Amino acid sequence: MGLAERLEAYLTRIWGQPVRVADLSRIPGGASRETYRFVARVEGEARPLILRRDPPGSLIETDRSLEYLALESFHDKLPAPRPVAMDAEGAELERPFFIMERVEGGAVASPFTVMPYGSNARTVGEAFFDILGRIAGADVTGLPLARVAETPAPEDCWRIAVDHWAGVIEADEQHPQPIVRAAIRRLRRRPPPPPRAVRVVHGDYRGGNFLHAPDGRILAVLDWEMVHLGDPLEDLAWAIDPLWNPFDPGTVAGMLPRDEALAIWSRASGLPVDEAALAWWSLFAAVKGQAIWTSAAKEYRDGGFKEPILAVSGWYTARRHDEILAAALLRLEGLQ
Amino acid sequence: MTPSLPDILVGNFLCLADPGPPEQQGEFMAGKVGLVALLSLLAAQETERGAAARVAENAAIRATLDAAAGAYRLDVAGLPSTEDLTFTALDHVNAALRKALIGLHEAVEARGDIVRHHAILRLYAQMAEWRRLDLPPLPAR
Repeated sequence: MGLAERLEAYLTRIWGQPVRVADLSRIPGGASRETYRFVARVEGEARPLILRRDPPGSLIETDRSLEYLALESFHDKLPAPRPVAMDAEGAELERPFFIMERVEGGAVASPFTVMPYGSNARTVGEAFFDILGRIAGADVTGLPLARVAETPAPEDCWRIAVDHWAGVIEADEQHPQPIVRAAIRRLRRRPPPPPRAVRVVHGDYRGGNFLHAPDGRILAVLDWEMVHLGDPLEDLAWAIDPLWNPFDPGTVAGMLPRDEALAIWSRASGLPVDEAALAWWSLFAAVKGQAIWTSAAKEYRDGGFKEPILAVSGWYTARRHDEILAAALLRLEGLQ
Repeated sequence: MTPSLPDILVGNFLCLADPGPPEQQGEFMAGKVGLVALLSLLAAQETERGAAARVAENAAIRATLDAAAGAYRLDVAGLPSTEDLTFTALDHVNAALRKALIGLHEAVEARGDIVRHHAILRLYAQMAEWRRLDLPPLPAR
């Protein structure tokens, strides 16, 4: 039985009426989930949907219920798809999966292109940092996500984050990486101040993970698979990491000058930006990236070298993050 | 470093040799072909610069270890070396040298040896530069 037939059987069972699946096709990009678009025809109505299924190998090990609950928490507060159904066991589609509504009319721009947003860079940037600020400003209490996500003490946010990603490097490293290890030691030696409040951290908020309309409006924030509760500066530092902006040193994320982006975020979140803390989280962002790319390299090999997205991640982005880390380590010592 | 150049090139073959099920044709396959094209371009850079980068990095790490051997009681003579210029041979030596460098840097930090700490940080920047891969300036679609 093919994937379309399996999907039909699943939706027919949970909706209690016959469902036909049409136009099933996999969407490129992303290695942490297989993503498919399809149309579910039920009672004469066509419902455009997205299937997110665990791959056989993945960049990151995440709890898909958190991603689902993040969408449930935010789809009515900011541009994000509405979740429809989830099967954490995944027996019917061979692997765990969830389904969400499809947001039409937008495009995902690769951050690795020149001027990814063209003349809409400012419009996109203002929305991008405003939405991130709203995520950071959201009161966690009462969010569906808070039912499952662990709530760290503010003073523990940095340590939990470093321990997790340092552990990933320890587990998956196949060639010694002195630069990222030096960065990890530096993070541990000089921890940041605790956040004013523990908030939702999207975990992968960056160019390439949102849909935008031809006029620059952001239609949907996607890829919440690394969502957790923590220090909101973690997201801000990740969003402005130089990795996501290879061709435009005058802006962050290929969108706006840095000071403007931070001001928008601060206004939307109601939180100040502590530059020393942001410098710590910026170094952390590159460590986290390097951990993800280390896993990508391992998964590429373990998976029989068949997913080129893992090769790009494990190779180009890993090399680029070594450059970023080395430069940051010099900068933090006041060296060129 | 992983994946190696042979990994990448074998992978480019394998991922296109197996067309996959019908739902993975069309846009998904086009995206895959684009990634294979990018990997091929990066592989050209690695073919041109990769061996020289490894030779330079291995020599620079060895020089750093040599310079610190007395003060930090390092067994530099026991580290492997090679005249073989294949990536496999150079990476084998590189792994041992990098491991020793990590140990040295930890000891340097513990001792508060700022001059050597800064020298190692500069070496890291040089290593990253030698290994750099350049993205082509692709226009947005």
